[in-house]
Amino acid sequence: MSPLLLQGVASGIVTGCVYALIALSLVIVYKSSDVINFAGGEMVMLGGYLGMFALLWLGLPYLLIFPFGALMIFIVGALFDRVVLTRVVGRAIPGQSILVAMIIGTVGLSYVLKGAVRVIPYTEEVRRLPPFSSGAPIFVGPVVLQHQDIAIVVAAVAIMAALWAFFSFTLVGKALRATSQNPRAAALVGIPVRVMSMTAWGLAAALAGVAGILLAPKLLITPDMGVIVILALAAAIIGGFVSLPGCVAGGIVLGVVQNLIGLYVSSRAISLAPFLVIMIVLLLRPQGLFAGKAAAKKV
Amino acid sequence: MYGAPPLTRLAPLALLLIAGFVLPLLLPQYFLYLGNFLMMFAVLALGLDLLLGWAGQFAFAHIAFFGIGTYATALLNVRLGVPFVVGMPLAAMLAGLIGLAIGFPATRLRTVYLALATFAFAEAAQWVFNSWDKVTGGPDGLRIAAPNILGYRVGTDPTAFPVMAVILALVIAATMYLTTSKFGRAMCAIRESEHVASASGIDVRSTKAWAFAISAVYAGIAGGMYTLFQSFVNPDVFGFQQIVLLLSMIVVGGLGSIPGALIGVALLGLLPEVMRTTMRGLLIWQELVYGLILIGAVMFMPRGIWGFIAGRKGSR
Amino acid sequence: MSVIRKSLFAAALMGVLTANAARAADPGITDSEITIGLFAPMSGPLAAFGLDALQAARMWYEETNKKGGIHGRKIKVIVEDDKCVPNEVVAVVKKLITVDKTFIVHGGSCTAAAVAAQEFVTREKVPHVMLNASGDGAVIPPTRYVFGAFAGTQRTVGATLAEFAVKELKGKRVAVIAHDDDFGVANSTTFKAVATALGAQVVAAELISPRVTDVTAPLLTIRAANPDVIVSTAYPGPAVLIGQKYGEFAMMKTPLVQAIQGIPVPAVYAKNVGNDAALTNFYYGSPLNDLTEGPKQQKWLALYKQYYPDRTPSGFMTYGLPSAMAVTRALEKAGRDVTRESFIDAMETLNFETEVIAGPTAFAKDRRDGARSSIFVKFDGKAHTLMPGVYTWDGKAGM
Repeated sequence: MSPLLLQGVASGIVTGCVYALIALSLVIVYKSSDVINFAGGEMVMLGGYLGMFALLWLGLPYLLIFPFGALMIFIVGALFDRVVLTRVVGRAIPGQSILVAMIIGTVGLSYVLKGAVRVIPYTEEVRRLPPFSSGAPIFVGPVVLQHQDIAIVVAAVAIMAALWAFFSFTLVGKALRATSQNPRAAALVGIPVRVMSMTAWGLAAALAGVAGILLAPKLLITPDMGVIVILALAAAIIGGFVSLPGCVAGGIVLGVVQNLIGLYVSSRAISLAPFLVIMIVLLLRPQGLFAGKAAAKKV
Repeated sequence: MYGAPPLTRLAPLALLLIAGFVLPLLLPQYFLYLGNFLMMFAVLALGLDLLLGWAGQFAFAHIAFFGIGTYATALLNVRLGVPFVVGMPLAAMLAGLIGLAIGFPATRLRTVYLALATFAFAEAAQWVFNSWDKVTGGPDGLRIAAPNILGYRVGTDPTAFPVMAVILALVIAATMYLTTSKFGRAMCAIRESEHVASASGIDVRSTKAWAFAISAVYAGIAGGMYTLFQSFVNPDVFGFQQIVLLLSMIVVGGLGSIPGALIGVALLGLLPEVMRTTMRGLLIWQELVYGLILIGAVMFMPRGIWGFIAGRKGSR
Repeated sequence: MSVIRKSLFAAALMGVLTANAARAADPGITDSEITIGLFAPMSGPLAAFGLDALQAARMWYEETNKKGGIHGRKIKVIVEDDKCVPNEVVAVVKKLITVDKTFIVHGGSCTAAAVAAQEFVTREKVPHVMLNASGDGAVIPPTRYVFGAFAGTQRTVGATLAEFAVKELKGKRVAVIAHDDDFGVANSTTFKAVATALGAQVVAAELISPRVTDVTAPLLTIRAANPDVIVSTAYPGPAVLIGQKYGEFAMMKTPLVQAIQGIPVPAVYAKNVGNDAALTNFYYGSPLNDLTEGPKQQKWLALYKQYYPDRTPSGFMTYGLPSAMAVTRALEKAGRDVTRESFIDAMETLNFETEVIAGPTAFAKDRRDGARSSIFVKFDGKAHTLMPGVYTWDGKAGM
């Protein structure tokens, strides 16, 4: 394999893990509320800025900015669910879908977060969070990787594994799964459905925030960086949109495909790639590349 | 509620027509421009509402058909000299055909996947508008020649205004007939439950595909309307922001209702102008305020403003 | 009223109206004031381009008023926010012209928006002087009513980059990376034409989306083509990504030249790239006559601080001055009985030194892009070294 191709694939895997981290957040929200969180990108952005704030203003050690950011954005997500979404759901008339209203709610949240951040003059310039460890780049054969790149890949896999363990083995995790599968039955066995919903949103938001802190050194922070949510959506779709490992696989596929298109077709076609992939995957295999058979969602 | 709409429901359309011919004589061009803009968006919104509010299909390819309508009408006029009265219907039919083509495979997809697939289609269409330099002018955009309607030269706000009003009135009337017809009933049935609709003998796939096609025709017509009063088109007009704006309009106004769609267009279409003039010293807060309004709208009126009003009135 | 009374009344009215009409032929001019409609993006993602430039223009008008105005008239300004969205620009321009009835409209930091408004201002015969927009599509080919490119068109950017790369850096194999929007296409097309005309070979021309989040593929392609100069016209975010990747792939033996649109504040750029080793062979271009904080720019920075003490201006602040200077000069030249048409005739005779940008600001009967020059600076992350020479596009190459 040519060194060009190898580098393209390696960098694609790293970028793919970036998408995967955000995709994980989107999928958790979807499994819990059936909603696509269009504010997911803004949560990533907020995480990045909060990380900067914690590091540069509060002077926290680097490792601590992760829990700090995660906690703050957990609160944002949980609050949004509790205050806004439960209200919307509560006013639903049976037979009428309020999913679109909820989606508009997340769009509103994205404008609120973006608008609030943009008011602060500090955000006018493009910013960068210093990386966790900035050392000499690592060479694997002809391939160049930065420390931050390795950190991202490791984090993506580790977070996914942690989530899998959380959902499979802990009580809260199992309760979340139960609620997403069948809210009524879950309520019947005594699971506080509202709290579960808040928790799911908080968790997804925290994930997005942590992704933001990890990605900020690589992606740069601007109030508009939320547009990356579209790529994360593509990654989630490739993965089937219901499976967490699927997100990581989907992200990696997308990252690598984008680079391959950039190298062998044209750079101009790169921005088309995620949308082509979404359409082709959904046309041929609506359940995504990694989910099982197409399952009917709960009625 | 079903059957041909009574003439009394058509009366407000007469008002619209009168306004269309009288207002250009009274108002400065700025207000006529806003009016033209809103009328074009009204056609767009009604089309999307048919698909989303009436047929319950979460499809967001609408803006792509709007673009196809605009570019097609403009190109037919500029490159081939096709007059507007022929060009716009052709463009709208082209949009409808592509809508039909999308509609059939799209019917296999459920909610979220349908939304995302159609959204991807819209983004891919925008990429095509931006990259097909030879045809669409690419990122530099396309200058639109003033269309000619049977000798009457349109292209400025005052001259376009009455034509837009006529087109909008026709579209609203058509929507009224459509939604109270057998097809309209079929769409509603599918929205409520596809299984039951199918069991009642409705051809679900075909109805859905035709709903796509008709909705696309609306968008194509709106695209033609664009060329009546704008002098320039570029791909940025057909992006994510516009889809979100359209969606917000019909959700805030009220899904599945004609007055709702129109109210939503008027409110959210004028909101930027209102904010701009009232928030002089606080312009940077506009985004935040807009987001809060959206959140507030879905929190307190999830059935939209019209749903709220109609609920109060008691009947529906 | 009787018929006779009505006719007398009508005649008197006509008399009054025509008398006034003879004196104030154009809207926006009274005995004591000229009203100018000023607009730029003041909110939204592109506010950084427009806000400070607009305030600088206002500042110039205020200074002019303090010195007594122009031919006994003070300048009154009506300000609008256009968010750089074409629909909003058209709405704002229509409002300023048909509701506020300003004499001219002065504004626009974004090209697509300027093009969107062009047909209207031409139809209404109202002069439109852009603020800091490049305005390529609206000034080339030139039309009577629209003046722009006060900091250069994107063609100027491409052309001057090519001249610098080939003449100063002695490039024979050159590569360009630009966006796939109207700016980038203009940049790369002119760059390629001028570089080829100067005898160099363009070995790679990559177009990337302005929303790109990873530039691995384009940089790899460029590296594989083995250029001896790389030129970038990317915007701030992608520009940093390019700088980072360039460093990661250790491409420093090949000089990298970045156009001004991606590096409004060089110190922030360096901080964001986070790797001064990557900047050992790095240059950036600028339409100004000096470094952004250089001695020649200090008087404008000081003046801005006087007017807006609470705001640290962005790198584009002084870009708002040349257009305002052109407006006041043209108003002076046109004399007390200025009309929109005589204003345009006066603008066409302008050829003056702004003390802000490199090279003169000039218009002509067939020229509507005001500035065509660029300087270059070597920047290693800490020190700026002004490179010799002012590079100018001849207005023809690459068209």
